[in-house]
Amino acid sequence: QHFRGRKNRCYKLAVRSVQRAFVKSTKARREKKRILRALWITRIEAASLEHGLKYPAFISNLLKSQVELNRKVIADLAIYEPKTFKSLAALAQRRRQEGFLAALGDGKEPEGIFSRIVHHY
Amino acid sequence: VAKTSLTSPPWPEVKLPDPVEEAKYHTEVVQKVNKMIAAGQYGRLFAVVHFASKQWKITSEDLIMMDNVLEAECGDRIRMEKVLLVGADDFTLIGRPLLGKDLVRVEATVIEKTESWPKINMRFWKRHNYQRKKIIVNPQTILRINTIEIFPCLS
Repeated sequence: QHFRGRKNRCYKLAVRSVQRAFVKSTKARREKKRILRALWITRIEAASLEHGLKYPAFISNLLKSQVELNRKVIADLAIYEPKTFKSLAALAQRRRQEGFLAALGDGKEPEGIFSRIVHHY
Repeated sequence: VAKTSLTSPPWPEVKLPDPVEEAKYHTEVVQKVNKMIAAGQYGRLFAVVHFASKQWKITSEDLIMMDNVLEAECGDRIRMEKVLLVGADDFTLIGRPLLGKDLVRVEATVIEKTESWPKINMRFWKRHNYQRKKIIVNPQTILRINTIEIFPCLS
């Protein structure tokens, strides 16, 4: 902290290192948003795995059921309000099952198609 | 027809509960929650509010700082609409995506309108004699959340 070695005593070296520090802080301000979002995503993934759901399934089903909470808030809920997070996971699970049933459809085979087993000898 | 790898879907087969029984269960739960709200049996309420293009998880007696200017004087009471979630210890009300205005009421007052600490924006390329330094000062407003109230008008 506060510049190691002769950078904290000698003017010329200090000027260079302070300039580099400013530049690094400006670039880091842009990276901070990406880092924080990745952190929230890992936390949500861990919390949803405890309830038996994977992160992509959880997020996609939440969005499909028109709940628009961002990752920061969901991560905070997972830390401080476990019961609320459990209800959100249950909601996502139920929407997932409804999606599976809707994808299956009737379960009948389409008309005009027959299938038979081919034996290779 | 013989069973191949594509006859049954890769996910395990799940049956949804009966819709009639589910509707009964839902009405029961809604009535219980309504009674609890009307009786006032909740402790601390927390809410998730969409404000200044950000989402905040707030409780009462909370401080919030935003990086922009609000067109309100210091000491003005503000009612926040766009509530996404409200919860207490035993129940939560999840909005799709927003909750109704006749359900929740979030009150806040403007406390301070200051400027942020001077942030330094510097660009520097070595060996090219190029450096630009700019000091950025953002106006900030600080709000305190006074109360979060819910009214028992669920259906």
